[in-house]
Amino acid sequence: MIDVTHLTKKYAGGVTAVRDVSFHVDRGEVVGFLGPNGAGKSTTMRILSGYISPTGGEVRVNGLDVTRKGVEVRKHLGYLPESCPLYLDMRVGEYLRYRANLKGVPRRHRKTRVERVMTQCGLTEVRGRRVGNLSKGFRQRVGIADALVHNPDLLILDEPTIGLDPNQILQIRNLIRELAEDHTILISSHILSEIEATCDRVVVIHRGRIIESSPLDLLGERWFAGAEVTVEARVPAEELELRLRELPGLSTIRTGEDGSWTRAELLFTDFEDRREEVFRLVRKHGWDLRELSLKRHSLEEAFVNMTRDGATAFREAPEEEVSA
Amino acid sequence: MSRLATLWKREVASYFVSPVAYILATMFLVVMGVGFWFISNVRLMSGASVYDLLRALFGGVGWFAILMVTPVLSMRSFAEEKRSGTLETLLTAPVRDGEVVAAKFLGVFTVYGLMWLPTLAYFPILSRLSDSPVPLDPGAIASAYLGVFLIGGFFLAVGVFCSSLTHNLIVASISTFAVVALMFLGGFLPAVSPIPAVREFTQPFSPVLHMLEFARGVIDSRAVVFYLSSTFLVLMITVRVLESRRWRA
Repeated sequence: MIDVTHLTKKYAGGVTAVRDVSFHVDRGEVVGFLGPNGAGKSTTMRILSGYISPTGGEVRVNGLDVTRKGVEVRKHLGYLPESCPLYLDMRVGEYLRYRANLKGVPRRHRKTRVERVMTQCGLTEVRGRRVGNLSKGFRQRVGIADALVHNPDLLILDEPTIGLDPNQILQIRNLIRELAEDHTILISSHILSEIEATCDRVVVIHRGRIIESSPLDLLGERWFAGAEVTVEARVPAEELELRLRELPGLSTIRTGEDGSWTRAELLFTDFEDRREEVFRLVRKHGWDLRELSLKRHSLEEAFVNMTRDGATAFREAPEEEVSA
Repeated sequence: MSRLATLWKREVASYFVSPVAYILATMFLVVMGVGFWFISNVRLMSGASVYDLLRALFGGVGWFAILMVTPVLSMRSFAEEKRSGTLETLLTAPVRDGEVVAAKFLGVFTVYGLMWLPTLAYFPILSRLSDSPVPLDPGAIASAYLGVFLIGGFFLAVGVFCSSLTHNLIVASISTFAVVALMFLGGFLPAVSPIPAVREFTQPFSPVLHMLEFARGVIDSRAVVFYLSSTFLVLMITVRVLESRRWRA
């Protein structure tokens, strides 16, 4: 559906926003486009939507070159720009009808399409209100409804939940999940939970380069050293540490004392769940136990690791930093 | 409805939701009305013909109106969309840059035309006030309006062009005014320049002389071609400016 090969964008003034970026999105996929602010997400999305042209490389949507076949590409593409700019003087229904018209929705389908997207995006109750009088959440929904109105195969949403309150975020997320059933979607965000909640796969961009592109569940394994188990038992720290050292595959151990209790954080070199082995060890020595847990690394931490300066160096020698 | 018609409709409608167009239309009609009243009283009393009146109205006070109206009317076209960011929404719809420029121009031109519409009422009044034995010639009136629309259209195109260069409405209108005022004042060169070569060279490009000719009922095909082609050229350059965002951004 989307083929980006060696895409480079240099702005006037010598800033290179995107350099040699290649990625691919298949039909039906929901891909998160992730990166810190200023990483080149919006630039890439603007190029995909045909608003600006690349300096180098090739961008194809549905097999069509976006620079040369812009109008054709945009007929099958719904795009929500970053700050969701709308005509504030128009009423919601009027705006969507105008956009449907502009996007070439045939007259006989126009009314049903507009009604459909208004229902999908929860806009029916505000159809007669001026866009300028709507809250940010509603405006964002109008923007998404606009992106959807010509029933495109591909949706490109640039930061669809930015500036919304938690309830609104949840509503937009549900909407995106609903849309994911019959659309190919590319969503950008710098908020990880956002991507985690809606996407199958993530493309991480940092300083204009792609540093990761993989299914979400593989991301953790690639960016963390291994599983982390926390155990808290009534035993002196030195003894606990000495015994735990016997465990196979242990890379680092950190202990802390709380009265007669000792808390140890164990980091392993692989992703096996070692809770059972730890428990057997505790039982063998007859210590009292008050906590035993496996820590699941969040995508948040993976992201911090990936976009940290010198991220590639970190990948080769991760031991010291992961437990920090 | 075609994309151009859709865009055009939106463009025209956008003028009616902002107070600028109403204020401008009011000012325009006040200026034209006072001018008309003044001219018709003074001139008719002094025994001038209705043709002198037409020339005074279009070649005189009409200029004031054109110079005032065109920069303000055209300033919004692109500058406003750039300022609010809606240009991105607009241009990422399946439309061509050329269609957008054409619709913006036709939209502002339509509003300009609507503004002139009430001035048609002057002519029945004029023919009743006048005791001239010669009836008012509808051809001459049509020719005068042709001049108003050709010259005004060109100025509006300049305005749309200036508007595409900035996201500031004030900058857009002032730069448009600077350009059209320069062209207007340059139009006096054939009459005032002491150098014969300058007089000769500037004569075919003088909007002032063109308007006087149109108001006299004389349609000079050179002037018509000049305004139509200049308008087209300026709009083509505007399309290029709009396209340049792709490379400069």
